Amino acid sequence: MKIIEAAGLSKTYRRGSEEVCALRGVDLAIGQGEFVSLVGPSGAGKTALMNLLGCLDTPTAGTLTIDGVEVTGKKEADLVKIRRNHIGFVFQQFFLIPTLTVAENVGLPLIFAGKPYDNGKIGAILDRVGLSHRADHLPSELSGGEMQRVAIGRALVNDPRIILADEPTGNLDSVTAAGIYGLFEELHRQGLTLVIVTHNPDLAARAGRVIAIRDGCLEDACRK
Amino acid sequence: MNIPALAIRNLRRRKTRTLLTIAGVAIAVAILFALLSFSAGYEQQLTKEMDNLGFSLLAVPKGCPYEATTLILHGGVIPKYLTNDDLVRTRATPGVAVAAPMLLQQVNMDGMPHIVYGIDPDTMIPLKPAWKVNGRFFSANETRVMIIGSTLAKQEDLAPGSVLPFGPAQESYTVIGVLEPTAGEDDNFHFLPLADAQRVFGKEGLVTAIAVKATDVKEIPAIADELEKVPDIQVVTMAQVTGTIMNLVGSARTLLFSVIVIAIVISAAGIMNTLLMSVNERTREIGMMKAIGASGYQIAALLLAETVIITALGGLLGIAAARLGSGLIESFVRGIVPYAPSGSFVSFDPVLVGSCLVFSVALGLLCGLYPAVKSARLSPMEAIRGEWE
Repeated sequence: MKIIEAAGLSKTYRRGSEEVCALRGVDLAIGQGEFVSLVGPSGAGKTALMNLLGCLDTPTAGTLTIDGVEVTGKKEADLVKIRRNHIGFVFQQFFLIPTLTVAENVGLPLIFAGKPYDNGKIGAILDRVGLSHRADHLPSELSGGEMQRVAIGRALVNDPRIILADEPTGNLDSVTAAGIYGLFEELHRQGLTLVIVTHNPDLAARAGRVIAIRDGCLEDACRK
Repeated sequence: MNIPALAIRNLRRRKTRTLLTIAGVAIAVAILFALLSFSAGYEQQLTKEMDNLGFSLLAVPKGCPYEATTLILHGGVIPKYLTNDDLVRTRATPGVAVAAPMLLQQVNMDGMPHIVYGIDPDTMIPLKPAWKVNGRFFSANETRVMIIGSTLAKQEDLAPGSVLPFGPAQESYTVIGVLEPTAGEDDNFHFLPLADAQRVFGKEGLVTAIAVKATDVKEIPAIADELEKVPDIQVVTMAQVTGTIMNLVGSARTLLFSVIVIAIVISAAGIMNTLLMSVNERTREIGMMKAIGASGYQIAALLLAETVIITALGGLLGIAAARLGSGLIESFVRGIVPYAPSGSFVSFDPVLVGSCLVFSVALGLLCGLYPAVKSARLSPMEAIRGEWE
């Protein structure tokens, strides 16, 4: 069972009069419960691919299915629903709302999804990411690693089956980064599908599968 | 947690900016509210005062009718008179229910000018249903008695029973009644029986003006036309006086309204600028919210909620400020308008409070609309990259 299936995925951006080809016909299949690292040099198309997989952007050509839902040709209003129900996002810059507490930041997606604001559920998520003792703190009182744990908690609160993380440890020191990877591995054991963009080869190697991308195309997918 | 709660949290992020914006809205709404309530209250008070006069038109000697009327209403003295013949003709005019003659004179007491009204109690008192007297009214043929207004009584320390030397010949007069406060000019006058006043001042057979009450309001123009045919008489209807005063006040009001419109436009531009700035700063955050499942509508609702909270608070604050400052506003207005009715005219009509609040909210929605729509339409991917334009 493939949870992510892409065929001939292309993305062309227009920058002024110049056309930039970010992805050139990517074929990709990721199975349910896989832990995938996406690596490659800057400008190779990692982020473009993540944006397509995360339904933040639409492909210029090709087809994409996420968690059994056909994404190609969908409008923004439908893409929002896919993001809400199937995908959890983790960003390099955390993007926490500074005036909300840790618990409230984690609960934010519930508001947008129109789900009940369930404090019990938020508490359980905080337990899962190891931040129960920080529930009422503001982001400014947290360390970088803790902030990223809040962001991961926020990604988990709508019970998605896929977690997409774009350089989640890019702003963290190596010890903290290793801790965050520990959390990802834990989530992987719990059955989530993870796709993580990273520059760090050691961390990339901790995934079950590493996909390298260069000039908008996948290099040979190397299995451990 | 819900979207309005999130909006409040967002406003706390930039407290100074939020407070300044609220203050801007408050000032605009305070001026608007003060002016509107003044307008409504002024017209109300003026109409009330004119109604309290108890008559619908005034027959005055030919000359400058408006000046004469204003003088008479405020107790000024004009050196021209109507005669008993004029009074008879006025009473004979169809549609006239009551014609009350009055003689106005000015006397100096302790160097201060005092206004004396000679009135015919049988015709004047029915015109003034609001008059309540401590003591008693005089009858038409009494002499050396007077009724005085409440302000005057307080000023001169007079009460029913007081005796004072009065008139050119300093005859002794007895105060037989003090009017209860009428909140009008009547509070400042001496009232004498007409015949006695004519005798004291040597104006036998003369009156300054004749106040006319019509049998029906519809008759007023016909009465006015008929009376104008009398060579000595000029007619001023109270509707004309009110109209003239309201015209003068109206031009001042138009000027003030233009100032307000400018104040509101500036305030609106300020709000929109603040919003655009705050949205611009949060572009990436908006992108994040979209990535974790916020729809364009939800983003727009969040931003509109933020603006409406600002403008609604500003509106409340502005109305409160206008209420606290109403005394100040009133004394300022009294200084600049041509005829300020007695009594407070800054009214706090709940409908006006409501409409000013509705206006504040509408202002918020209007100013918030563009930033909200712009943010709602942002592509999540571009927003996360921080691309706003």
